Amino acid sequence: MRINCPYCGPRGNEEFAYLGDATVRRPDPAAEDAAAQFYEYVYLRDNPAGSHRELWYHGGGCRSWLVVTRNIRTHEISDVAFADAGDKP
Amino acid sequence: MAAASVIARRGKADACAAAITAHYGVTLPTGPRRAASGDVVFAGVGPWRWIATAEGADAAEFVAQLRERLVFVAAVTDQSDARLVVRLRGPRVRDVLAKGVPVDLHPRAFKAGDVATTLVAHIGVQIDMLDDGPTYLIAAPRSMAGSFWSWLTASAAEFGYDVSRS
Repeated sequence: MRINCPYCGPRGNEEFAYLGDATVRRPDPAAEDAAAQFYEYVYLRDNPAGSHRELWYHGGGCRSWLVVTRNIRTHEISDVAFADAGDKP
Repeated sequence: MAAASVIARRGKADACAAAITAHYGVTLPTGPRRAASGDVVFAGVGPWRWIATAEGADAAEFVAQLRERLVFVAAVTDQSDARLVVRLRGPRVRDVLAKGVPVDLHPRAFKAGDVATTLVAHIGVQIDMLDDGPTYLIAAPRSMAGSFWSWLTASAAEFGYDVSRS
């Protein structure tokens, strides 16, 4: 599998580390139902048979966090973007 | 070779680029390319991150001056003693590198001035193409120098090689 890093170009997956679902967001710890939200945030994941947005770290290259949109059935990658949208600091 | 990592601070990317242009007369590359002014080189190794090097310069002096010139706009960290740097040239260099470099080094894909950070034999390296000789510069972590040298010499053995200090 090759991932087209927006900084480095196409690279083999041995340069990357997989983190997981890129769609979950850390809940507000001050919310009333924070415990329930955190339970869902930490433990519960969808397992879609198809397109999935996931976090990958390009540790063997430019050290960027990336959001990779990958079809879990075919491994086809339809999009790769910087996790921070390549924000200019 | 004096070397330092340069990382633009939040909100200071433009100011960092302007300061480097003002002091060193180079336009900072936004991608994996190198920009040189005399002996000073800025190589792009990641988004808003560069490795600055100076051939023949006093390392402590170069880094201190860089840090002073980029104060408040970039984080500057001395890397001078952190890296083994080898310069490779010769007609069979690409054949040697092909044994471990996963990046396509064909002249159509990787040109003079291009930079790649990648893994060679599980070792994180920075590869710069200097000219169409072809000449490549490869920097590997000092602590991995022995392993990298072992890979390099084993890969070059069938073609023969000379080693010289610069």
